[in-house]
Amino acid sequence: MSLQQHELNSVIPDLRTLSLERLAELGDSALAHSIALYRERLKETGVPLSSFNARI
Amino acid sequence: MITTHSLSAGSFSELAEGTGDRVVVRELREAQLSKHMMLLHVVAGAAAGIDPQTPETDAFSAGYQLLSQVQAADPAVVARLLGLPHIGSWAHDCLACLDNGSPPDFGYLAAAAVSAAIQAGLRFEVDVPVRGGRVPLPGLGCLAVPGADEWVRLSSDGARLQAGEHIEVACAALIPDADSVPATPHWEGTPLVRAEADGQSWEVLLEIADRYLDRYALPMLTILPPAEVANWRQRIQSAWELLVRQHGWAAGSIGEGVSVLVPLVPRSDLDSATSPAAFGAIATSLPPSVVSMAETLIHEFQHNKLSGLMDMLPLIEPSGERGYAPWREDPRPMAGLLQGVYAFAGIVHFWDVQRHIKTAPDDVLRANVLYERWRLTIEFVTDTLLGHGVLTPTGVSFVTALRERGRRGESGPVPAEAIEIAREVALDNWLTWQLRHTALDAAGVAGLAAAFRRGEPSGRQQLPAAWIDDDTRKIDSMTRSRLLNLRYQEPQRYRELTAEEIPELAAADVHLIRGDASAAVAAYREGLVAEPDPVAWIGLALAVHRLPADPARPVLTEQLPLLFELHACLAGQGVHADPLDVVAWLA
Repeated sequence: MSLQQHELNSVIPDLRTLSLERLAELGDSALAHSIALYRERLKETGVPLSSFNARI
Repeated sequence: MITTHSLSAGSFSELAEGTGDRVVVRELREAQLSKHMMLLHVVAGAAAGIDPQTPETDAFSAGYQLLSQVQAADPAVVARLLGLPHIGSWAHDCLACLDNGSPPDFGYLAAAAVSAAIQAGLRFEVDVPVRGGRVPLPGLGCLAVPGADEWVRLSSDGARLQAGEHIEVACAALIPDADSVPATPHWEGTPLVRAEADGQSWEVLLEIADRYLDRYALPMLTILPPAEVANWRQRIQSAWELLVRQHGWAAGSIGEGVSVLVPLVPRSDLDSATSPAAFGAIATSLPPSVVSMAETLIHEFQHNKLSGLMDMLPLIEPSGERGYAPWREDPRPMAGLLQGVYAFAGIVHFWDVQRHIKTAPDDVLRANVLYERWRLTIEFVTDTLLGHGVLTPTGVSFVTALRERGRRGESGPVPAEAIEIAREVALDNWLTWQLRHTALDAAGVAGLAAAFRRGEPSGRQQLPAAWIDDDTRKIDSMTRSRLLNLRYQEPQRYRELTAEEIPELAAADVHLIRGDASAAVAAYREGLVAEPDPVAWIGLALAVHRLPADPARPVLTEQLPLLFELHACLAGQGVHADPLDVVAWLA
């Protein structure tokens, strides 16, 4: 990857302008990929889901 | 169609160089808001799937509905609430509970919704959970509801809040405690600090009640008397002045990104921490000085920034590998190395400025040593990360840029004395770590010992296999290391101590501490001939490094565990070799 690229697309869905009403109506599939990635990353990089990574 | 957050190349570059201004941090913060909403979606799905519904899930549904109404009336209030680290940490905890099969704290959302509704001046009626006679309202404070059971009904007409049947409080009084309003019965506002310097302001809460921000290795301070709050306010204000006036690159981003400080119960040393689950929160015991408060804020906010970035862009692949972290005594996973080196990239910036604004000689020395020591760390650790193949392509770009930034000269040369001290304390830490945690194949060591005895050149021998093994040898060199560090940490104390007898130290260590490297080398050699001792080996390596360039240096730096084991193996066979002969043979 080059730092010259204009934009880097992240794995976080942009929900800033989504109303909570609409968020509740979203099915499981719309965010499933991002949620799975988030859960996986936390497990794989050693940050326990159940407690804080309080020390480096 | 839902798109994903993106990060501009410019923002990525700034973060990779260890900086990142307000605009960059705002991008990270907005991604965190989306992350919290994403996690809220998961929790909402789980709550809806519970049949039959429980008081907790009912409270969650009511809270969600109320929050939705507040959003319709005042979206900024909800965005601010959902962006709080309290919410990130709570949602993270809910996910953990869902994953391990324990019930999430669904009811917390009802209290969060009440907090938002009060700020928006809405009418509501909702049941919220009570903990220890209090209802924490995230971002505002705690409502005391003595005598209430597990739940209490909160209702409001937009002007007054009713809790149960007997408690009524004006909504206007339900605000954080900025030290400017009289106390309100039944209300404990979260202490709010408003720091100002040269027209730049920073508002930060001192969170002492929220259970989801009480998740660090040390417990949160849950009681903060007014005098202690005043201490925190004063320390934060002074640190803010230092940051704004001398470290503008950090002040803007901290002001934008840090909304909560979590005071920790103090121990003997300063402790501080962050969590990837709570972007915008920094936990710390009260730093003992203005400079250490500023340094702590920079250090910990580096972790916040990197965690925020890694939520957006994976930088590191899963790996069970561990390595040497120069700021720690134990082997650390690669993700920990990345977090650590990023924090120290910020610290290098900090001390690079500090070394020019200090005037007292001891302060100048300290600042220069800290700058040089952590600058060296960046090079070492980024090489480790790049060499282990654990980074994603984006991670390689990030770490490469970080390394280049560390290599670039900053603002002028470092005095020779500071360089010597920085390199020596870094070497001491590295050698100690190697001896403590490097295991060696015993058969391979025995083979080398046999070759040594036969007088064969070492170049023909295969070196024994080596691997990281926690605490494979007990190393107690704390007194000597502490004194070596004292040279820059407390130079005056160091001068006083070294002018006296130091009974805890061996004679060789005394020579080293007092600066007589030749005498130290001779004494360590003599001691090691009599008895293999890893602590003496470290001392010998340090003393040799003080002598003019010696060909023994590289092997002492990189193969000290092997030298120790080989020498000990020979001693076990009755061969009490001069340690420098063993070094010369292996070099």
